[in-house]
Order: sequence, then structure tokens, then C-alpha cells
Amino acid sequence: MGILSLLIFLPLVATVLILALPMTLRQSYKYIALAITLIQLILSGWLYANFDNTAAGINAIEGFQYVEQIPWIRLNLGSLGQLEIDYFLGVDGISLPLLVLSAFVMLMAIGASWNTEKSPKGYFSLIMLLNMAVMGIFCALDFFLFYIFYEVMLLPLYFLIGIWGGANREYAAIKFFIYTLFGSVFMLLVIVGLYFSVINPISGAHTFNMLYMMDPNNYVDGSFFAWFNNYNEILHIPARDIGFIVLFIAFAIKVPIVPFHTWLPDAHVEAPTPISIILAGILLKIGGYGIVRVCVSIFPDVVAHSNWWLGLIGVISILYGAFNALAQRDLKRMIAYSSVSHMGFVLLGIASLTVEGISGAMFQMISHGFLSAALFFLVGVLYDRVHDRNIYNFRGLATLMPKYTGFIAIAFFASLGLPGFSAFIGEAFVIIGTFNSESIGTGLPRWMAIAGSIGILLSAAYFLWTLQRMFFGQTRLKGGEQWAIALEGDVNCRERIILFPTLAIALILGVMPSLFFDKLNSSVLNLVSMVSQYL
Amino acid sequence: MNEFSSQLPSILDQIIASIPVFKPELVIIVAFIGTILATLFFDTIWKHSSLAVAFLGIIASIMVTIPQIDNPTSGFFGMLIIDNFAVYARVIIQLALLVVLFLIQQYFKNKTFGKNLGDIYTILLAAGLGLNLLTVTTNWLLAFIAIETVSISSYILVGYFSETKRQAEAAMKYVLFGSVCAAIMLYGLSLLYGFTGNLDFASQAHIQGLISAPPVMISIALLFMFVGIGFKLGFVPFHMWTPDVYEGAPTPITSFLSTVPKIGAIVLLSRIFQAWVSTSFYFSELTLLFIVVVAIVTMLVGNLIALRQTDVKRMMAYSSIGHTGFLLMAVISTQTKDPQILLFYLAVYTLMNIAVFAFIQTLEEKIGSTTIADYAGLGKTYPILFTIFTFVGISLIGLPPTAGFIGKLLVFSATFDLYQTTQDIPFLLLLIVGALTSVISLFYYFRIPLYAFLRKGDETQNPPIPLTLTYGIGIIFGFLVLLFGIFPDLLLQVFN
Repeated sequence: MGILSLLIFLPLVATVLILALPMTLRQSYKYIALAITLIQLILSGWLYANFDNTAAGINAIEGFQYVEQIPWIRLNLGSLGQLEIDYFLGVDGISLPLLVLSAFVMLMAIGASWNTEKSPKGYFSLIMLLNMAVMGIFCALDFFLFYIFYEVMLLPLYFLIGIWGGANREYAAIKFFIYTLFGSVFMLLVIVGLYFSVINPISGAHTFNMLYMMDPNNYVDGSFFAWFNNYNEILHIPARDIGFIVLFIAFAIKVPIVPFHTWLPDAHVEAPTPISIILAGILLKIGGYGIVRVCVSIFPDVVAHSNWWLGLIGVISILYGAFNALAQRDLKRMIAYSSVSHMGFVLLGIASLTVEGISGAMFQMISHGFLSAALFFLVGVLYDRVHDRNIYNFRGLATLMPKYTGFIAIAFFASLGLPGFSAFIGEAFVIIGTFNSESIGTGLPRWMAIAGSIGILLSAAYFLWTLQRMFFGQTRLKGGEQWAIALEGDVNCRERIILFPTLAIALILGVMPSLFFDKLNSSVLNLVSMVSQYL
Repeated sequence: MNEFSSQLPSILDQIIASIPVFKPELVIIVAFIGTILATLFFDTIWKHSSLAVAFLGIIASIMVTIPQIDNPTSGFFGMLIIDNFAVYARVIIQLALLVVLFLIQQYFKNKTFGKNLGDIYTILLAAGLGLNLLTVTTNWLLAFIAIETVSISSYILVGYFSETKRQAEAAMKYVLFGSVCAAIMLYGLSLLYGFTGNLDFASQAHIQGLISAPPVMISIALLFMFVGIGFKLGFVPFHMWTPDVYEGAPTPITSFLSTVPKIGAIVLLSRIFQAWVSTSFYFSELTLLFIVVVAIVTMLVGNLIALRQTDVKRMMAYSSIGHTGFLLMAVISTQTKDPQILLFYLAVYTLMNIAVFAFIQTLEEKIGSTTIADYAGLGKTYPILFTIFTFVGISLIGLPPTAGFIGKLLVFSATFDLYQTTQDIPFLLLLIVGALTSVISLFYYFRIPLYAFLRKGDETQNPPIPLTLTYGIGIIFGFLVLLFGIFPDLLLQVFN
């Protein structure tokens, strides 16, 4: 069993263990979950330390590391040919940072759920199941395997939001499920189409192997998604464009981009704090990861001529998300919309098709993963104490909770792109990439870069305004004396242990972006060279 | 007369030679008679004797069915066609019947029931006989007899138990609707026979006759003929009887009606489809068009109406209509001679459906209701049951890692392959509707975990569920759904 399998299936062990232990040992569940996520973090750290920065990844198996490939399903389907599904895992520069991020955010989430009293057995076993699915998504290189993990992820999340969520949780849970499922069933059709279009050059059988799907030579002539001489079309849209659009929408719902974002604020507001952390820290990244790993890599020819639209959608998400964040009265909702805005940068960076842009997009995902997790955690700290999140119900918290104010100020400044913090690097690189796009000839106009900068300006506006409204001035709370007593303790030790490393990482990454850029670089170069031949 | 007597020896020879081909059905006939006798004479001594006879009969029938694998033959002048398709389909049918036998026994265990329970087993065997015949024939006459055998048995199964006015109404609806459909089908068959002079729908003469017949008359004849099959399968617009009957009938009978007869009817339809659609003449295109349209409409109607149901049995009735549409899609896409995808889907569908009804039955015995709202908050009391129930629901939607997902994937693959080779838009529509309806179905299947886990119930303490046979069947089938979801080769290899 390889190290990636270990990473993926350790949480499953935890699930089984938690389910097997009787309720009298309920206090042990969180320790089991904590131990397993700690081991995962160590494992992912080991992966990081032993990662070969020169391996180019993306489309060649030689470029992947820690590869595990075992034949899983081999079936003769008569006229449909041989069914070939592999248990195929591997890591490259695109997925490694996200794996490390996931392991870290999962640990944070376990820390944040330390005081969960409501049926801890179900809660921790579901979180561990979710953990397994997430790790699997980032490692899978067989499309079938990827899809299985992708769908398995939905179920625990539905129950985690639906059972442990807020007042309107049923609606939020089903809305989240339906949105993602709507994207993914059509993704399944495209997967089937790709399966029939691609053959394994060695065995001659159709295959779900993603790497084979990235090589034009493996496509069957005249097949539906054939790379060359493809005259298939649906409603006068060429078949490969259709495939790209369907996959893009499936992942865009996850990112989420405007106009598929409406599930996100609902899900965040209703979800308990740890689930919000996982949602913002990991699940949104699955969308961005899917766009890079699947849409861009398998359909580089389509991306090359449709990136203007992707950039436009990115810009709209940045601006629309930011304006919405400005208008929110609920702190958590405000941060949810800021996520929409920040994830727009990821799409804009990818659309620029430049090395700077895509590196920036990847970096922005990592940075947003840490920062949004910290932000949602901070909201949770406040909500745990007074069960209210309305921005206008608080004033002058700075005098009451100086440490909390310190943490939230750092997190706000980091998120709005203050130089020295990670978000600055990500956003700056995205904007540089977009700006260069016109000179390199990848087709994004310069005004998109300017619009992106306006997005940064707006994020400064809503973050600073919130800071001013809630934390400065005379202390005045809606709940009066009762709230003041509840808030008196400031952040406790457990919360500080979780917050400090998270914000420290944001700072370290801002000062030394090479920590992740080195890992990313050769994969991104390879990706850009794949796409640039179609420009 | 002289001519006849000279042929008599050869006819007799043929009949005697055909008897081994007919063995599985003969065994069921013997068991049928045996169960009647056991009901009459031995049930007073040992109350399970009729069940035992029926059980042994089905087991014996399976035992003699299995050796027919890889040994395609025909008998009774081509009336019976035994191929691997028929063998596997019959094994699935009989295994399902076996499970239903026990579900019935469990259901009536704790009920005071005025009538003789042994009769049910007898009728169930008769239905099994009809279903077996459906899968082995390409002859209209035998197909009609088989359909009627199944229908009449089903009428009795539903009507025999009717205690309330509602149940009697359901049975009456079923009988009336069924009889009219049978009559219309018979009329259609007479037209077909008139055009072709041959009752074997796969034969050259029959197809030749269809080619040369006038289009208008052919359209009418085919339409009439599909009314009969449509009734049995419950596809739109002949689905009206299903919700009432499914809701009115006792739960184990519903689990039988929603699952087993479909297998037989689908196999027959698949044979008709394979025989007819390969030509490029009017009747082929009409058949194809008809089935494609019906498949699309059935998927949509079944799933959309299921959204508004409050009774879990009624919801499952509409869900089974939706699945019928999906089965039709499988029939369309497995045009070729290897039916393993269709068989896989049928087997998985049977597993899922029986598991769901086993859970419904277990819950009905415990809380005395089949209303979904009454499941509120029960997830805390019965976590294992509802976890597996939810899991089977996921499989019915077609999400991984379940066998239902693999089944859907295979059907999608086959349909996509068909679309890729023919570039016909209707096949693409089938794919899109198939994908869309799985999203729709999420809403209603997830009402079960929604009520069980997310809603709060009244705090009355329900006693824990003992591990009854019904519950055990549900758990085992749920486990199989997971197993075949992760290792589909286990099941697919069997059909290879």
C-alpha cells in the first residue's frame, strides 16, 4: 500500500473505529479524529519534503510522483469493448500543495469541532468520510475514480450541514447537493463520451485514464470527442466545446462563480463553523483544481480559444462578489461573498494562460484556503459566545476583546491583499499574468487586469468598513451586559493554538512564496506549454 | 386425418424431446400442485408446510435452470427459446420470488388473517411460471398466455388481501384496467397474425409480413400490442394503476409487483426490440420511435410525480415508473446480442427495490405507518436501518459507490455508444433526460433521510428492532448493493 492510499484511507479507518466504539466512550471520538488528521498532516508534510521539484506532472505519468496504479475493474462488455478502470493515484505540482492544504484545514476543522455535543459519533465519522473523499479527489488520476470520490464527498456534507447546521439547514443542505449533483451528472455523460473517444495505446482498450485523455494521439478518429477532424456538433456547437463547457460548469458550480454561486452563502450561513472551514478551505478548491486538472488539461485546444469568456466570468465574479460582500449585514455571509470574489481571481489567473497567471491562481487557492478557514473560524468564535453574527449588533469590540480584534485585523488585512501576506502574492501574480496576456498574445484584454485591481480595492473597502463598524468606537452590544460577560474571556487557548499557525502560514507564504512556487513551477510550465500550441 | 396420424409420431417425438427444455417450468408446476395439497392437508399439522414446498420448488427450479447455461436450445416447435439471456433472467426472477416468499411469511406472522396464507404461495408460484415463460419465448401466443398468467395471479395477490374499501378499490382498478389492456393487446395480435400468418415475432415470415403491411394498420396493431406490454411494465401512459395498487397492496406483495414482473416483461420487450429494430422499414422505425418517446416520458413523469408523494409506498410506485423508463433506455441501447448490461441493471434494480421494501415492511411492523412524515426523528432510534435505507436510496438515484451507479454508468455508456455511431438526436435526448431525472430523483429519495435524520420527531420511545428475517434481507441486500458497486465484476462476470 502506497503512501497516497494511506493518506486517503486512514480517515476511513477512523470512521470504522468511531462507529465501532460504544457511546460510553464518546469522549474518545474527537481524539481519534485528531490523531488521524495529525498523522495525515505529517504524511502530507513528508510528501512535501520528498517532492521532486523538477517533475513536470500534468500529462505524463513520469512527471507524477508517489504513483500507484493497480488494475481495478477489467471487464469484457462485448460490443462495447473492454472496460478498463484503474485504481490510479499520483501527485504533481498542482495537487501537492492542495493536499498539504487539505490536511491542514482538516486538522483545523477537528480543532474547531472540539466542543461538539450533538451526536458526536455521527459527526466525527462523517467528517472523516469527507476527509477521505477530499484526499481521494486530489490524488485520483483515473476519471472514474475521481468521479467516485467527487460524488462520495457530497453525502457526508449533506448530513453535516443538514443535521448540525443552523435554522434553515434543510434548505441549505439540499440546495448545495442539488447544485453540485446537477453539474456532476452531466459531467458523467462527458466522462462516458471521453471514455469512448480515448484508447489506451498499450492495451488498445477504451480507458478512463486522465493522462491518456490529454494526449491527442490517443483519440479514436471519428469518435465523439476526437481531437482532430472532429465535425460532431450539438446545436451547432462543436463537440469538444460542449465537453469543455459541461465540465467547466460542473466545476464552476464548486468554485463557485457567478451565476452558480447562490448555494454558497446559504451553505455557509447554515453550516456549523468546522464545516464552513472545510467548505471554504478545501471544497471550493476542488472546483479550481478540477478546472486545471480536467478542463484545461484535457481540452487545451478549447481553452485556447475560449479563455476570453473565462476571464470575463472571473472578472464578473470578482466584482459581483465584492459588491455583494459590501451589502451584507451578516458577518458570515459577508465572508462567504468575499470567497466568491477571491475565487474569481483563480479563474481569471487560469484564463490568462500565462505562467504568472496560473501560478498566481494556484497560489491564490492555497492562500485563500488558509485565510478563509481562519476567517470562518473567527466568525465561529464570536458566534459560539453570543449566537449572533449581525455586523450592526456589535460595536467597539476592540476594547472588550483585544486579542480577538488583533487576530481578526490580521486576517482581514491578509485577505484584502496587504503586501507581506499570501493573498497579495496570489492576487498580484494573477493581475500581472492578466496584464501580460495581451503582450504574450493569449487574448485577455488589459481592462480585465484593471477590473481585477478594482476588486482588490473593493475588498479593502468591505473588510476595513467591517473592522470599523464592529470593532472601533464605544462598546455597544445588542445583547447588552449579557453579551459583554459572554465575550469577556476573549479567545481561549484552544482557539489561539488553531489561529496562530494559520495566520503565521499566511505571513510566511507572503514573505517566502517560493515555498509553494517551487513545487508548482515545472507543472505550470508544462501546462502552459500544452495550451500555448493551440493559441 | 390420415395426414395428421402420419405426422403424429414425429410430433410426439418432438414433444418428448422438448420436455427437458421445459424442466424448470415443470418443476414449478409440480411445486404449484404440491403447495395446493400442502395447504389443504398439511398446514394444519405443520403451518409452514406450504411455504416449505414452495421454497423447495423454487430451489429445485433454479437447480435445473442453471445447467441450461451455454447450451442454447429450443423446444415445442420453436415456442420455447432457451439462451443464456433466458437462463439468467429466470434465475433472477426465481431468486427474487424466493425472497418475496419469506417477506410474505414474515409480514403475516403477527397478523390475524382470516384467509389461508398457503394460497398466496400457490399464486406466487403461478406468477413465477408465467414470468418464466415470458423470458423464453418469441411466440405471441405463448407470450400472451404468459402475460395473462402473471396478470391474473397479480390480481389475486392484490385482491385476496383486500380488507379495507381502499384496497378493494385498488384491486378492482387493477383487474378492470388489466382486462381491458389484455383485450386490446389480443386484438393487436390478431391484426399482426392477419398481416403475417405467423406468430413467431422473430421469424423471417413475420418480419416479411410486417414489411409489406400498410403503415396505418401496422401503426394500430403495434400500438395495441404495446398497450398490453405497457400495462405489465407500467410505463406512461399505462401507469395509472400502479400507485393505487402499490399503495393498497400489502407491502411484500408491492415489493413483488414492483420488481419481478418487470424482469419478465423487459426481457420479452428486449426480444421484440432485437428482432424488429434491425431492419430499416416503417415498423422498425415506429417501434424505435415509440420506445424512445415512451422511455423519455416515463422517466420524466415517474420522477416528477414522485416528488409530491407523502406515502413511501406510493413514492416507490412512481419511482418504479421512473426506473421503468430507464429500463426501456437499457433495452434500446443493448440492441446487440449481449444482454449483460440489461441483466446487470435488472439484477441491481431487483436488489435495490426489494431492500427498500424490506425496510418499509420492517418499519411498518414497528411504527404501523408507511407515511414518510412518520419517519421523523427515527434516525436516532434506528441508525443502522436508516443508514442502509439511505444508502440504497443513493443507489436508486445512481450515485457512487453503489451498484445503482455502475448500472446507470453502463446504460449511459451503451446509449452513448449508440449515439456516437448513429448521431441520432433522440439518443442524446435519452441521455440528457436520464441524467436530469437522476437529479430530480434525489429530491424524493432524500426525503427519507431528511425526515429520519434532519427532522425531529415526537419523543415517544420506540422499542429497538429485533433482527427479523425481513430486516436481515434488507441489510444483506444493502450490503450487496455496496459490494457490487465497488466490485461490479463479481456480478458482471456471471452474466458474461
